[in-house]
Amino acid sequence: MSSEPLLRVENLKTQFFTETGTVRAVDGISFEVYEGEIVGLVGESGAGKSVASMSLLRLVESPGEIVDGEITYKGETIFGLEEGPDGDLRERDDVLSNEEIRTRIRGNEIAVIFQDPMESLNPVFTVGGQLREFIELNRGLSEDEARLEAVDMLREVGIPDPEKRYDEYPHQFSGGMRQRVLIAMALACEPSLIIADEPTTALDVTVEGQIIDLVDELQQKYGTSFIWVTHDLGVVAEICDRVNVMYLGEIVEQAPVDELFYDTKHPYTDALLDSIPRPDRTVEDLEPIEGVMPEAINPPSGCRFHPRCPDAREVCRRVHPENRRVAFAGDEPHRAACVKHDAFDVGYDESVPIDPEPELMADAGSASADGGEDRE
Amino acid sequence: MKLLKYALFRLLQAIPVLIGISIITFLLANLGPGDPVSLMLQGQEHDEELVRAIEQRYGLDKPLHERYVTYMAGLLQGDFGQSIYYQRPVSDLMMDRIGPTLLLVLSAYAFALVTAIPLGVVAANRRNEPTDHLSRIVALVGVSTPSFWIGIVLILIFAVKLGWLPSSGLVYPWRPPDAYRGIDGHLELFQQTIRHLLLPMIALGTLQMATIMRVERTQMIESLQGEYVKLARAYGVPERTILRKHAFQVAQLPIITIVGLNLSTALGGAVLTETVFNINGMGLLFVNAIQRNDYQLVMGVTIVLGTLFVIGVIITDISYAYVDPRVTYGESE
Ligand code: SF4
Repeated sequence: MSSEPLLRVENLKTQFFTETGTVRAVDGISFEVYEGEIVGLVGESGAGKSVASMSLLRLVESPGEIVDGEITYKGETIFGLEEGPDGDLRERDDVLSNEEIRTRIRGNEIAVIFQDPMESLNPVFTVGGQLREFIELNRGLSEDEARLEAVDMLREVGIPDPEKRYDEYPHQFSGGMRQRVLIAMALACEPSLIIADEPTTALDVTVEGQIIDLVDELQQKYGTSFIWVTHDLGVVAEICDRVNVMYLGEIVEQAPVDELFYDTKHPYTDALLDSIPRPDRTVEDLEPIEGVMPEAINPPSGCRFHPRCPDAREVCRRVHPENRRVAFAGDEPHRAACVKHDAFDVGYDESVPIDPEPELMADAGSASADGGEDRE
Repeated sequence: MKLLKYALFRLLQAIPVLIGISIITFLLANLGPGDPVSLMLQGQEHDEELVRAIEQRYGLDKPLHERYVTYMAGLLQGDFGQSIYYQRPVSDLMMDRIGPTLLLVLSAYAFALVTAIPLGVVAANRRNEPTDHLSRIVALVGVSTPSFWIGIVLILIFAVKLGWLPSSGLVYPWRPPDAYRGIDGHLELFQQTIRHLLLPMIALGTLQMATIMRVERTQMIESLQGEYVKLARAYGVPERTILRKHAFQVAQLPIITIVGLNLSTALGGAVLTETVFNINGMGLLFVNAIQRNDYQLVMGVTIVLGTLFVIGVIITDISYAYVDPRVTYGESE
């Protein structure tokens, strides 16, 4: 692994200031993305994955705001704070301005692929026109050059007869084809990093497989790094190199993909694994994760997973575990935020087991632990 | 080509609607209270013979369905019958009067669109800021105030009190300037047209403006929250372009529909506005015809206004199909 990461996120906190209180959608996460790798960001809906990934582009929608942490990309500061002379935190001078973010980062350095290919394309413009606009803007090409590039890119992502389809409208494309268009958009801007936010969730399984194969192939060809945001560990296993598992705004486990699957260190990851179909298990073995994710407005004390954790002990209510190295995978750290590991040494073994809290289980009506990522 | 087929299809669809309009109008005019013959003879000495002679002359002695068929046969040749009061062909009368009404309605729409769309966009873009609140007040007042009342207030302020603008009549830009006394040349004719048109246009257009503005605002808000806007932002498209192009284009589609459907209120409003401003259009003609029980004229005007509405709706449908690529013209691809 090369020494300098492409993207470094440190202690990132993004909050939504709502009338009912502050939603800590992203609450101090740190991770890196190196050149040419696909990094997974996994968790249930509302874990803060999408908010986290939009924070990287400084595209958090009001009333959300990045309140703390540091994001550096290729040595440039996307977000960073320092202590001002009056003791207050303020934005550092080297933070890119809004204009710089827009012209230098969005699209041409970091591109995105959104979840819903039906909604992501503008219904009243032709597919080619939209593609061309983004290419013109992000690569400084003339209209004609951008058009040629767009047609090439459509061919590259496997759209048959691209010259003809260039002039068609989004509703004339199938869901899978639209997602291919979005992938073409991202790649055509020649970014170093692509954030794919649940890119296959809206597609059926066959198409999902095709899209994943396509991304795999193109990723190798172009060497682009990816952040793959998903709730589906099955997809992660297929495509990611390293994985970050998020729960309620925090990263609770961080490991290379094989270690995560074969040497799982966090009970939440275990639960996620139990809830996905795997070739070695039958459908009857599938266990849904019990309970619902609590609100990010008022997260549980101690370990945030303790109300749902089968391994929870009394100490888990009191001690809030940060994401800490608990093992090595080769020379890479395997991190987990769970006090049952020796690295924590807070007396887990002596502590008395506690039962999962029934009131949280039953409270499925208020399941919107929504950190804002699904907001309209 | 497909669009042309669709247009033709919509026009064919309109035929039964128009027949329906003619039947209902005919029945209402002929079965309604008031007897045209006795009205015609008001104050005159008359006997049964005279009444029968008149009835015969206007075909009133025949049974209803026969009269309808005769009437329709005339309509197909552009013959709307004879106005009893004016003693002139109804079609001639309407030809004189339709110009001012169209001028009034179209300019009211122009006024409404030109003001409502920018206001709606600004209100949506600066939600819950002063402009948005202002737009809300304007819309509320506009929707709940009848056009004739606005007309009267406008006259009181701008014509009576300030004396800036004329309070009645219109100057028709299609007439030669020397048709008017004191108007010299085409430029002045045009200026006078505008001066006369201003107040009735605002009176009639305010309701349309208010409705269109609210729809524009809602649509823009929705459009600005669309995934495609998020995507454009994520690709570094300037906010200006997003507002003017990406979000705006999508938001205009429902406006077309609103304009078409509101044509009925606009035509209805035109009747009142013409009365208030004493404009010799279809509206004033209509009101006079009703007051004089001139049933031939009432029928003619009603059918023409109804047809105008139907044509308006068809035009909006066709433009919608033209603008929105998703419309498949009622047939599967
Ligand atoms: S810290 Fe305790 S509650 Fe949290 S995951 Fe570990 S065992 Fe479960």
